[in-house]
Amino acid sequence: MTYMKPHRIKHFFLLALGMAVMLTAHADAQAPPPTLVYGTMCESIDNFHPVDPAVVFSISKGEIICFTTFDPVLEKTNVFHKWYKREQLISRARLTLQPPKWSSFSSMQLRKADKGPWRVEITDTNDNLLQTLRFSISD
Amino acid sequence: MDTFLNIVSGLRWQDYLDIVFNSYVLFRLYVLFRGTNVIRVLLVICLLWVIQKISLGMGLIITSWAMQGIITVAGLVIIIVFRNEISGVLQTKNLKSFLWGIPRYQLQTPVSIIVESAYDLTRKKLGALIVLPMKQNLRSSVQGGVAWQGKLSREMLVSIFWHDNPVHDGAAIIQGNRITKVSAILPLSKRQDLPSYFGTRHRAAMGLVEQTDALVLVVSEETGRISLFMENRVYDINDSHVLTKLLDDHLSEEATRTGLRHETVELAAAAMISLFSVTGLWLSFSSGVETLATREVPIEFMNLKQKMEIIGSSSNSVKLVISGAKPLIQAIGQDQVKVKLDISKAVTGANAMGIQRENILLPPGIQLKQIEPSEVEVTVDETVQKQLMVQPTWTGRLKQGLIIVSAKAIPETVVVRGGSMGLKDRTTLFTEPIRLDKITQSGRISTGFALGKSNLQLQDHNKNNVTIYYEIKQRSTPEKTSEG
Repeated sequence: MTYMKPHRIKHFFLLALGMAVMLTAHADAQAPPPTLVYGTMCESIDNFHPVDPAVVFSISKGEIICFTTFDPVLEKTNVFHKWYKREQLISRARLTLQPPKWSSFSSMQLRKADKGPWRVEITDTNDNLLQTLRFSISD
Repeated sequence: MDTFLNIVSGLRWQDYLDIVFNSYVLFRLYVLFRGTNVIRVLLVICLLWVIQKISLGMGLIITSWAMQGIITVAGLVIIIVFRNEISGVLQTKNLKSFLWGIPRYQLQTPVSIIVESAYDLTRKKLGALIVLPMKQNLRSSVQGGVAWQGKLSREMLVSIFWHDNPVHDGAAIIQGNRITKVSAILPLSKRQDLPSYFGTRHRAAMGLVEQTDALVLVVSEETGRISLFMENRVYDINDSHVLTKLLDDHLSEEATRTGLRHETVELAAAAMISLFSVTGLWLSFSSGVETLATREVPIEFMNLKQKMEIIGSSSNSVKLVISGAKPLIQAIGQDQVKVKLDISKAVTGANAMGIQRENILLPPGIQLKQIEPSEVEVTVDETVQKQLMVQPTWTGRLKQGLIIVSAKAIPETVVVRGGSMGLKDRTTLFTEPIRLDKITQSGRISTGFALGKSNLQLQDHNKNNVTIYYEIKQRSTPEKTSEG
């Protein structure tokens, strides 16, 4: 029975690790981010379509929705809806997208104290900003 | 004795300088105004002040109040009544005599020349009025006159009182061996018991000796009679020896020497009194009842680096516990206590800064007992520029059935300047609230940026204006509310 010398084992592992890193990087480079084709704020969704998209919402609605459509989606991936009130991050919703195209939404329950300017930042898994939707909650 | 030694050993060099300087100022005031009535009036004011303090201590309200009023008015009266003396002192052209010179009033006067001149004037039937000042200053008694500054001689005196000389009227003043002033006006005596043959010159001579210690020699134009006025008395001179003797008694070298001795003693006494008075005043200030006091003093942050700004401090003021004599504590003004903190080494973020004794400015004679807090945390930020998105802030309620489907701000972005920490996570600059109530159709509206209390500044100060273009549509669905 022959054994590899310890320093050769070390070299082998380093080589294997290097190849694994290169392959992973290659795979990442090959997977393009999902393309956001439509993003809007709305009061409700009807039959997978946003109803009355707007930039100002009354607090009396009780809820608002951030609706996004991605096409194409080449592989299963995630996007994030980050809800900010003024400059403060209020909520971060993780949405899963399925190929070949996908629409998804997140929502926010409104309270009286939520009046003011808001924005939703839509980002991919690498935190690349895909779109910012700006709106206000009013009386 | 121990207390005195303790005080003396605790004196700083500034205290010695303080005492010596003010003693000298007091002494100089005496030297400049001695012989005038100003000194007498000042002494009266000092006496009134003492009476006021005593009456205050005894609870004599009206007396104290009246004394205070008189002292206040007296200050004004001195300036008005003694304006000639004061301006005479202040207008002196010789800075040396003003600052450290000591005028000697008794200089050796050549008596023989005066006697010869008097008899010469008599022979020529010329009237004369000659003033020989002694120790007392004549500023307050003698008015007008023409500065002469000529060396005394028989010919000079005779020519001064010659009929056709424009300055022959009035008195000639002789100081030492110089004629210092001619055509001077002397105060007239109001006495009723003067001999009938006394003319204006005699009355003037008597008027001056009534007010001062000067010697005045009068040569009558009508009778040629010589009279010597001194110490409120009149000596009719019939013999030149008598005149020489009388003048010698007062003006001779020995008399001058004696006078100088007396004057030196007087000045030394004045200097000592000045020193004791100021020292006493200083001690009354500095060694009175020790008092503790607390002062809240704002911190002055100094030497902040360029492009840096202070955005916060754990404390903007410090409480100082100070001690000192009660009068000194009570006399401390707002600007006399300062806390200065050097923040030149502060870096972006929170900086803990100790407040030491050297950071605190106190008036002389005040000791620092405690600093609270002894450390402050100063948050400093670097000023940077950043481009921010502009977002409208809508407020109020839109008319039922309408929705705003889009809104675009022009400009879309603005560059602002502010602290790096404050701008680090900031992406948006919001507008002032825009009311929705009156909006019924698409259009545009102008408003400003809501900078509020933030430390942000627009790069272009003049462009605090943004236009919002908005699009209004009818709802596609009936409006529903969570309440309904």
